[in-house]
Amino acid sequence: MMPSRRSPVEREGRAGRGLSAPWSPLRLRGHQERALVGVLMALPALAFFAAFAIYPILRVFYLSLFEYNLTSPERWIGLGNFAYLFADPTFKAAVVNTAVYVVGTYLPTIVLALLIAIGLNHRSHVAGVLRTIYFVPVAMTWVVVTIMWHLIYNRFGLLDQLLHLHTNWLTDGTWAPLALIIMSVWKEVGFFVIIFLAGLQSIRHDIYEAAAVDGAGPLRIQLHVTLPLLRPVLAVATIFAVIRGMQAFTPQYVLTDGGPGDATQVINLLVYKTAFVYAEMGRASAIAVLMFGALLVMTLLQLRIFRARSA
Amino acid sequence: MSLQGVEAERSAAGLSGATASAGWVFRFVLLGLGAAALALPFAYAISTVLKPAAEALSVPIHWLPSRFLWANFLLPFQQTNYGRYFFNSFLVGVSVVILNLITCPLAGYSFCKLRYPGRDLLFLVVLATLMIPLEVIYVPLYDLVFKLGWTNTYWGLIIPAGTSAFGIFLMRQTTMAIPDELLDAARMDGASEWRIYIRIVLPLLRPALAVLAIFIFMNNWDSLLWPLLVAGKDNYWTLPVGLAAMQNNNEVNFSLLMAAALEASVPTLVVYFLLQRYFVAGIALAAGLQG
Repeated sequence: MMPSRRSPVEREGRAGRGLSAPWSPLRLRGHQERALVGVLMALPALAFFAAFAIYPILRVFYLSLFEYNLTSPERWIGLGNFAYLFADPTFKAAVVNTAVYVVGTYLPTIVLALLIAIGLNHRSHVAGVLRTIYFVPVAMTWVVVTIMWHLIYNRFGLLDQLLHLHTNWLTDGTWAPLALIIMSVWKEVGFFVIIFLAGLQSIRHDIYEAAAVDGAGPLRIQLHVTLPLLRPVLAVATIFAVIRGMQAFTPQYVLTDGGPGDATQVINLLVYKTAFVYAEMGRASAIAVLMFGALLVMTLLQLRIFRARSA
Repeated sequence: MSLQGVEAERSAAGLSGATASAGWVFRFVLLGLGAAALALPFAYAISTVLKPAAEALSVPIHWLPSRFLWANFLLPFQQTNYGRYFFNSFLVGVSVVILNLITCPLAGYSFCKLRYPGRDLLFLVVLATLMIPLEVIYVPLYDLVFKLGWTNTYWGLIIPAGTSAFGIFLMRQTTMAIPDELLDAARMDGASEWRIYIRIVLPLLRPALAVLAIFIFMNNWDSLLWPLLVAGKDNYWTLPVGLAAMQNNNEVNFSLLMAAALEASVPTLVVYFLLQRYFVAGIALAAGLQG
C-alpha cells in the first residue's frame, strides 16, 4: 500500500468509484462518501443506545409520576410516588443503610488498598505472587463470593470458630450490616489495589530519589510525595466507590435479602422489590430517579472537592 | 532477584542500607499475612466440598476431611440444572461480547476519523449514557423487553447489552493513535472506506479489542440483576441466577453449594491467570475514563 502521487481530482474519482459501495448506486465525492459511511458505522451503536439507554432513562422520569403495574394502563398521580417515599420508613431505612454500606465498605477498602498498593509497588517475584493473590477476588463474581461467605457466617461457620463470638451474623440486625461490610471489603480491596498500582506506576522514580537526597524518611516520603501525586487517582477511586456502593444489589439480595427486618435493605434492593414483588413500577421508578439524582450530585461534588484541593 | 533490582528498589522507596532490608522484610510479612487472610475463605470452601456432609459445620473445624470425596465436585451437575446454567452464561456472554466487538469499534472509528454534521454531539450523548447505570433504568427497560415479548428468551438477555459507552470511548481513544496519513494513503490507492476499516483499522485495534472483550465478558459473568428479571424459567437461568436459587434452597447441601460456587469461578479465573495484563488494563482504563 504505497502512497502515490495523484491529483485530488483523480483521487476523489477513485474513491467515489469504490470497489465496493454496493449500498450506493450514486457516485459520491470522497468527503461525502466518508460522511455517509461514518453515519452508517455509528448507526448500530446509536440504535442500541436509543432503545436500551435513552428511551428507558426518559421513561423512568415519566413513570415516576404514574401508578403503573406493567399490565394495566398508567395512572397519573403527579408527585404522589415521591410524597409516599418521603413518608415511608422503609425508604428512609434504605437510604440510611446504603450510606452506611457505602462509607463502611469503601472507606476501609480505599485505605487498605492504598497501603497494599504502596507495599506491592515493587518489582520482584514476591510482589508479583502477592499481587496475583490480592487480585483473585476481583476475578470472582459477587454471587460466588456471597455464597462462600454465607457459609463463613453460619452459626458454626469459619468466623465463629476463629473468633468464638457466638454471633448470629446474618439474623441479628446489629451484626448483619457489618457482615455485609466485611465481606465486601474482602471482595473489593483488589479492585482498588489495581487502580492505585496503575497510579503509582506513573510516578517517576527520580522524585523519590530527590526526596531521599533531601533527607526525608520513608514515611514522610509516602505522606508528602506519594499522596499528593495520587490525588487524581484517589478522586477516581472515591467516585468509583460511591457508584459501586450505591448500586450494590447482589450482596444484599443473596446474603440477607435485606433482612432481618429492614436492617440491610438498600436502595437498589428496594427498587427491585417495589417493582417486582409489589408490582409498583411507578413507585420503583421514583426511587430510581432519586438514586440517579444522588449519583449525579455525589459525582459532581467529589470532582469539585478534589479539583479545588489540587488547585 | 538481581542485585540491580534490589538497588533500584531501594532508591525507589527512598531507603538505604540496613533500614531498607528491615523495612522490606516487614513489608512482605505484613502483605503475606494479608494475602493469607484473603486466601482463607477459598481453603474453607475447598475443604467443605471434599467433606462428608456431616462434617460441614463440625466443631472444631475439620480442615482435613476424614475422607476426600472428590466426586462431590460433580454434585451440582448431577442434582441441579447446573450444566444448563453454565451453557447459558457462556452463550449470553459470548454473544454480548461479539455484538460489542462489532458495534463499539465501528462507532469509535466513526466518531474519531470520519466527519459528518452532528458527530460530536452524538459522541457527547454516548458519553452521557456512561452516567446512566442499569440500576437506574432497569424498571422501564424490563417494561420494554416485556412488551417486546423477550422475557424468557435469549434475546432479552443479550440484545439490551449490545453496545457499551465504555467500549466506544475506548475504541475512539485507541483510534486516535492511527495516523490520518495512513488512511489517506489507502484512499489514494483506491481502497473504499469499508475496506480501510476492515483491512487497516481493525487489525490495529486488536489489543484494545482484547481488553474490551475480557472486560465485557467478566462483567456479564457477574451480572445477576438483569437475568434474574428476564429469565423466569430455569432453562434460561445464567450461573448467578442458578447459584442464588441454590443458596435459597434449604435442601441443597454445603458440599454441592461450594462446588457450584468454585466451579462457576473457573472460567473467569482462567481468563484472569492467562490474560492478567489485559484484565488489569481494562480496569485501569475504566478508572482513567472516570477521571
